[in-house]
Amino acid sequence: MLASVAAACSDNKQEPVPSSQAENSPSEQPLDKVTFRIFNGVAGEKDVNTNETRIGKILEEQTGVNFKIEHLVGDLNAKVGTMVAANEYPDVIIPDAAINQLLNAGAFIDLNPLIEKYGPNIKRVFQPYYNRMKAKDGGIYFLPFSTVVNKYIPDPNINQGGFWVQRRVLEWAGYPKIRKVDEYFKLIEDFIKAHPNEKLTGFVALTHDWRFFATTNVPNHLAGYPNDGEVMVDMQTHEAKIYAGTEYEKRWFKMLNEINNKGLFDKSSFVDNYDQYIAKLTSHKVLGFFDYGWQIGSAQNVLSDAAKADPSQDGYRYFALPVTFHGGKDQYLDPPGFVNNRGFGITVSAKDPVRIIKFIDNLLKEENQILVKWGVEGETYLKDEKGRMYRTQEMIDKMDKKFNEDYGFSVFDWDWPHFGTNSTLSNGNAASPGLQPEVFQLSLTEPDKKILSAYGVKTYSELFTPPDERPWFPAWGIQKEQGSPQQIFEAKKTEIQRKYIPELVLSTPDKFENVWTRYTTELNKLDIAGYEKWYTERIKEIVAKVKGQ
Amino acid sequence: MERNVAYTEPSATVQPSRWKRFFRLLVQQRALVVMSVPFVIWLFIFKYLPLWGWTIAFQDFKPARGFFDQQWVGFKHFQFLFGDERFLRVLRNTLVMSAINLVLGFTTAITLALMLNEVRQIVFKRVVQTISYLPHFISWVVAAGIIQSVLSTDGIVNDLLMWLGVIDDEVLFLGVGHWFWGIFGASVVWKDLGWNTIVYLAAMTMIDPAQYEAAEMDGAGRFKRMWHITLPGIRPVIVVLLIMNIGYLLDSGFEPQYLLGNGMNIDYSENLDIFVLKYGINMGNFSLSVAASMFKTVVSFILLFAANHIAKRLGQARLY
Repeated sequence: MLASVAAACSDNKQEPVPSSQAENSPSEQPLDKVTFRIFNGVAGEKDVNTNETRIGKILEEQTGVNFKIEHLVGDLNAKVGTMVAANEYPDVIIPDAAINQLLNAGAFIDLNPLIEKYGPNIKRVFQPYYNRMKAKDGGIYFLPFSTVVNKYIPDPNINQGGFWVQRRVLEWAGYPKIRKVDEYFKLIEDFIKAHPNEKLTGFVALTHDWRFFATTNVPNHLAGYPNDGEVMVDMQTHEAKIYAGTEYEKRWFKMLNEINNKGLFDKSSFVDNYDQYIAKLTSHKVLGFFDYGWQIGSAQNVLSDAAKADPSQDGYRYFALPVTFHGGKDQYLDPPGFVNNRGFGITVSAKDPVRIIKFIDNLLKEENQILVKWGVEGETYLKDEKGRMYRTQEMIDKMDKKFNEDYGFSVFDWDWPHFGTNSTLSNGNAASPGLQPEVFQLSLTEPDKKILSAYGVKTYSELFTPPDERPWFPAWGIQKEQGSPQQIFEAKKTEIQRKYIPELVLSTPDKFENVWTRYTTELNKLDIAGYEKWYTERIKEIVAKVKGQ
Repeated sequence: MERNVAYTEPSATVQPSRWKRFFRLLVQQRALVVMSVPFVIWLFIFKYLPLWGWTIAFQDFKPARGFFDQQWVGFKHFQFLFGDERFLRVLRNTLVMSAINLVLGFTTAITLALMLNEVRQIVFKRVVQTISYLPHFISWVVAAGIIQSVLSTDGIVNDLLMWLGVIDDEVLFLGVGHWFWGIFGASVVWKDLGWNTIVYLAAMTMIDPAQYEAAEMDGAGRFKRMWHITLPGIRPVIVVLLIMNIGYLLDSGFEPQYLLGNGMNIDYSENLDIFVLKYGINMGNFSLSVAASMFKTVVSFILLFAANHIAKRLGQARLY
């Protein structure tokens, strides 16, 4: 309340930093030390001075710049709201989901002139997306994170969506090739019939809070589309259509309804919170579920740690299958994407934007990208005679959480402008060690190798279809204005789904049609056409921009 | 009565002497007056100044813009609020849950206080009191976690009912919409019962023990004494608390509904505060939030005045 008062009373007009300031400074000494403040809108990480880490120290020696990073404590919108109300910012903000609030308030400076002058590397790295980074007025107000540089290389692990199943189920069935969702449920049903006394659960769903999309996105994937958010985009016409309320969705929930009536579905999926869900996945009792790999990391770590200590536990780990309705081509893996609603912005309060942009430009040199991702040669990676980069088992073993923090790997990760995870270096090595086949192979245990060879593959993602080129991907990453009709549509749509999906799944089979009719009637009251039109226009704009280059 | 009035002095002469008395009192108690100054300033800054923020409700408020650069939109946000079909449902949920809170909170706390007051075993009394007010100190996040796991399909309630043969299949307690109010009421009572009794127990210690002795002499039993001495003794406290709580009728709480709510009970669990969070703050529409809070304040104000007026009419203790 007080903040709103301050906002209402203050009459501050922030002037964009005059470009003359940028012109005055080239004569400065590059090595006088300076510390900038960064606010990072992500909670649960350590506040740190970058020069206290091994990597940050090296970067400081190159540029003389140190960053003091402060992370979020408490509520993001409240924290950013206070900054906006006071019109006082740290030098750099990485605002996560609150970016619109800052853009609306004019908190970021236009980086265009700075990049023109001091950012050859920035230009090179962001080149394919350069036009898309521009706001309506032509300014670039923040640097996004996810850009693919050089060649695209797939993640050997499944960090995106998939139908997961316990490994022991696959082993029991003799490692069958499962491509259709019917076969998937048949397998689970057979396994439960064969093990009647174990009190097993066939399938659970994650519905808690904002993670609800893990349940609503499924029909989209089963139809063979990637995670574009609320819409499916036609590859040829670039029309965006929502899939809520379509035949795809009906087919999927009909299927869950049948599963539930056979007693294979966990009813509490609709009331459990995220912690309860993760606890269920580690309980050994759940055979299958759909989810995104990045969402179940903590459960997977628990299970794989247990399996490392006792290999007989390996059967309780989960294996991802690329299941679809038709059994044909799937698109679970993300194509090269560009998320344009997250980023790294320099604020109007920044003392010396030129030094910051120079630091970023230096950071985006390939040698420094190797430094922040691979570390120092001889310490955290080696090179063989062919120039392939690899790590030894001892190196991998010592890289625990504490080591990564002290060394700086966890400081210079996702939140900085960088070569996106799926990038390669100019010499063909993977930019991210985890994606380098040599490193991935070392991380595999004996049972891992066994199950992979049973399916005739070397990595988990090889089972999945390589992604098609989608220049707009991900559609959910396209910026929507706060309080816009699109945002309100999404909120209302989710609310209707929250109410009807449990009913669709848990009702008796004879009532399904009735519930479906009520559900779609409610949905059709919303302005679906307007929402789809908005998305189609945005996507066509992006395609045109990409082609226009 | 009428006769007495006739003998009092004419009011014209009463008025100045009243003012004179007021100023004399002011000077006499200047120490008290000076001591209260900081609190009046505090009140002004934190309670009255923010009222300026109400202007936001009539604008399409954009942060970091000056007052005169805002776009004025009149009653647009109020129209959105009252025009939305969910608003009535949300308002109903708020009022019902608040009423449950009020009625259950009062009856259970007074009953427990009466019973504790009769306990002569000090150790037992202390133990009961401590156990019953411990949950008050747990945050709702933890409390909701406990409630969720107790009511889950493999929780103790389901196990117990299955064992007793009351149900054949596990029940999703939090999944049945119209049970939500019951679960909410029980949770709130469990959490705050002990805490609420404290004020009544304190009020009961103020009752003159001689009254009990006299009643006992006259042959009043335990229940007669409770009814005729204890309850009337704490009546002023009850009435004042009731009036104050009626003022909060549109505040049915936020945490239990937010944390225990899910898609299946949303029709019964979503209240005004959650609605505002969803469509106001989460979407950066601060104006809508302010409009909703203005509505709440006005309604609370009316309710408070009404309750106080009724109490006055009934000749009971009152706020002012």
